[in-house]
Amino acid sequence: MFNSSWTKYLWIAWTSAKSNTAYLGEVGSRVIFLGVILYIFLRLWQVTYSETGASELGGLSLAQMLWYLAVTESIILSGPRVSQTVDQDVRTGQLAVHLIKPLSYPLYCLGNCLGERSVRFVLNLSVGLLMVTCFVGPIHITLQSVLFLLLALPLAFILDFLANFLIGLGAFWLEDTTGLMLIYSRITMVLGGMLIPIELFPDYMQPYLKALPFASIVYGPARMFVAPDPAQMTGLLANQLMGILVFSIFVYAVYRVAAGRIFANGG
Amino acid sequence: MKHAVELEELRKTFVVKTGKGLKRENKEVVAVDSISLKVEEGQSVAFVGPNGAGKSTTIKMLTGILTPSAGSARVLGYVPWKERSKLTRSIGAVFGQRSQLWYHLPPRDTFELLGRIYNIDRKRFAERRDQLIERFAMNEYLDTQVRKLSLGQRMRAEVAASLLHFPRVLFLDEPTIGLDVIARQELRDLIREWNQEEGLTVFLTSHDAGDIESVAKRVIIINHGQLVLDDSVSKVKRHYLGSKLLSVKFRAEPTPFSIDGVELVKSSYHAMKLEVDTDKVEIDTVIKEILKAAPVADITIENPPLESVIAHIYSQPKESVQSSDV
Amino acid sequence: MEAEKEERLWFKFTGYLTLALSYIKFNLKSQWEYRGAFLSQMVAMAANNCVWVAFWALFFTRFPVLRGWGVEDVITLWAVAATGFGLAHSVCGNALALPWIIARGQLDVWMLYPRALLSHVLLGSMSATSCGDTVFGFFVYLAFVRPDLPHLLLFVVLSISVAFLFVGFSILTGSLTFFLGNAEGLAEQWRFSMITFSTYPATLFEGVVKIILYTLIPAAFVSYLPIVALKEMSMYYTALTLAGSFAVLAIGSAVFYLGLRRYESGNLLEMRG
Repeated sequence: MFNSSWTKYLWIAWTSAKSNTAYLGEVGSRVIFLGVILYIFLRLWQVTYSETGASELGGLSLAQMLWYLAVTESIILSGPRVSQTVDQDVRTGQLAVHLIKPLSYPLYCLGNCLGERSVRFVLNLSVGLLMVTCFVGPIHITLQSVLFLLLALPLAFILDFLANFLIGLGAFWLEDTTGLMLIYSRITMVLGGMLIPIELFPDYMQPYLKALPFASIVYGPARMFVAPDPAQMTGLLANQLMGILVFSIFVYAVYRVAAGRIFANGG
Repeated sequence: MKHAVELEELRKTFVVKTGKGLKRENKEVVAVDSISLKVEEGQSVAFVGPNGAGKSTTIKMLTGILTPSAGSARVLGYVPWKERSKLTRSIGAVFGQRSQLWYHLPPRDTFELLGRIYNIDRKRFAERRDQLIERFAMNEYLDTQVRKLSLGQRMRAEVAASLLHFPRVLFLDEPTIGLDVIARQELRDLIREWNQEEGLTVFLTSHDAGDIESVAKRVIIINHGQLVLDDSVSKVKRHYLGSKLLSVKFRAEPTPFSIDGVELVKSSYHAMKLEVDTDKVEIDTVIKEILKAAPVADITIENPPLESVIAHIYSQPKESVQSSDV
Repeated sequence: MEAEKEERLWFKFTGYLTLALSYIKFNLKSQWEYRGAFLSQMVAMAANNCVWVAFWALFFTRFPVLRGWGVEDVITLWAVAATGFGLAHSVCGNALALPWIIARGQLDVWMLYPRALLSHVLLGSMSATSCGDTVFGFFVYLAFVRPDLPHLLLFVVLSISVAFLFVGFSILTGSLTFFLGNAEGLAEQWRFSMITFSTYPATLFEGVVKIILYTLIPAAFVSYLPIVALKEMSMYYTALTLAGSFAVLAIGSAVFYLGLRRYESGNLLEMRG
């Protein structure tokens, strides 16, 4: 019984991935922006490295920096609109369609999100890495780098999903959740290390930033890919699992209250 | 006789906040006001009422999405809001304005996914799917992406998708909305067929009198949250308004006549249309008067269309329905 | 005869000005119906911009990569870009929705009015986040640059010019839909690229890319010329900025009306994606 209920959600993820590959052409045009932003970063960091005369900043060479940014941008740009969807489902009553099926709504959303994000991430990353390779050439990638990335990414995506889902549930109480979404995504970008690795933030901020969930979503996986380090990796995984645990408890509690409201008011 | 749906004194009230600032107060609004009814298994029922009458609130309670404020209900023996997860396996639902098909994928993929969601045995699933494909004539577009389908094709696929898991009760909420005449008729035929041949209980809401006439045997009309009429479709048409439509063609100019209880609806050269209130005057009295007026070439007697029956009921004022301040 | 013509033109001009004003009033009023949403989006956007500016201000203070510009110039750049973008899309809120409106045949609705189609469509809605951009831009400029009166006046002129540029650019990218069918994705990418380039100092770029910034992605009219104009109080650079905006607006409108000839009103059925 337990087993079969999990395959259900895997199947949802699979269908969602398939649905996203069905219009890959449309998704494909979205990589133009990735190209532009990576080019701007190339210029920014070329100037930065040459003006400071350093060969390494925050422990990364120029090539590593660009590869790092290709990964962080791919993570950010692949994020599905989870909170908007949940918000809409709540406000329009589409939630009813899901509730009359033998499904858990949060897990349905999770499956849907992971399927979509995998496809978009793979596409973004391949294009992004191709571009940075043209810009600065390859870097040394080991089996360990790939393994670390594959291990850290799913956890990062789940963590990000939980936060977004929580914001979407805000629709039960708030007139509007767009503001929260904007702030969450901007903070994930800035404090998560999408623009610069955490090592380049002021020293006193670094320990806090690394402990925050934002870094576990963006900085962690990217850093482990370009400069893998087993000790850091253990810390990252611990942070991610801790984050997932805490957020799951939140989601569980909030969704229970929200579900109570649906059953009383119909959303 | 086994009942698929049973409602007893089912009632639902919502608390609505009105006013602003200090004047803010909570007001209780009655959406469904003590409705009782029974639907036998295999029956097809049309659930009719103007917007805001309480139709969708009732359906939400019957599908387990809403918990009622008072009263009880059973669907296939389950109390919906308490045993929702058991109930979901035996009911299906189609919401005309909400799709359950995946937009960028062909219907086949959605069917496959639903098979997994309902955890249907693979062999049984394949048989059922093939049966539905054949009956709903979906072969030609089963592998076409949903976004490329016509609305008629899409709605057929929606209904088929909701039948995949062998539901015993099917809730249809405005299934033909936006469809053209042919697609509408096709869909009605399919639903009726499934109801008659497979014994599927059908619970339909619609504003379209045609839907009701061709799909349902029984019509339940609610207004202001209360049940105002529950009868067979043919009886409603015959009796409820207590009126008949008489169309007469004369051979010569008729001499004018007037009878109490007869109203002239339309008249043109040598022809007239009359509405007869059968409570006030017998139909044969009217015909005698007509025959006296002039030689008659043709005469037809009709029931008023269901649409006008429903419109008449909708226009009844709200009685004894109270909303109390909390 | 001439005078009469002139008078008519003047009449037309003031007519559209009042139309714009009444739309702004109307849009504000309808936003105010949902003031909670409106205000929270506005504040969130302004807060977002603050985080962004604070971050880059720190970055540019730490790494000297601006090549002749100071951090103050960069802040001016964001102020101009945010105010211009914000004004553009709070007054012409439909500019960003143009591809959507065209693809779904929604232009029909607007064609029924006895007003010039394009300006009327654009005025039709207001974006709350853009209002946040506008407020933020002004605030940042006043608080951090502390301009004297001439600078402030020039800032306002330049921001309005940038607003016209953004509107023109949105029309141009949106009108692609006439030619390519559903070009929402492409138009959006092009516009994102423009916005992104407009928010990084133009001094970073050289060569071919510099040419692109004056043509395909006219970000130089946002992130370079107006800043130099303010820095040096130069009428020459101001004129260049204005000319650029005028050109983009003209090209955008021309492409729109060219595309309009190919417009087939839509009968697309709305469906959930």
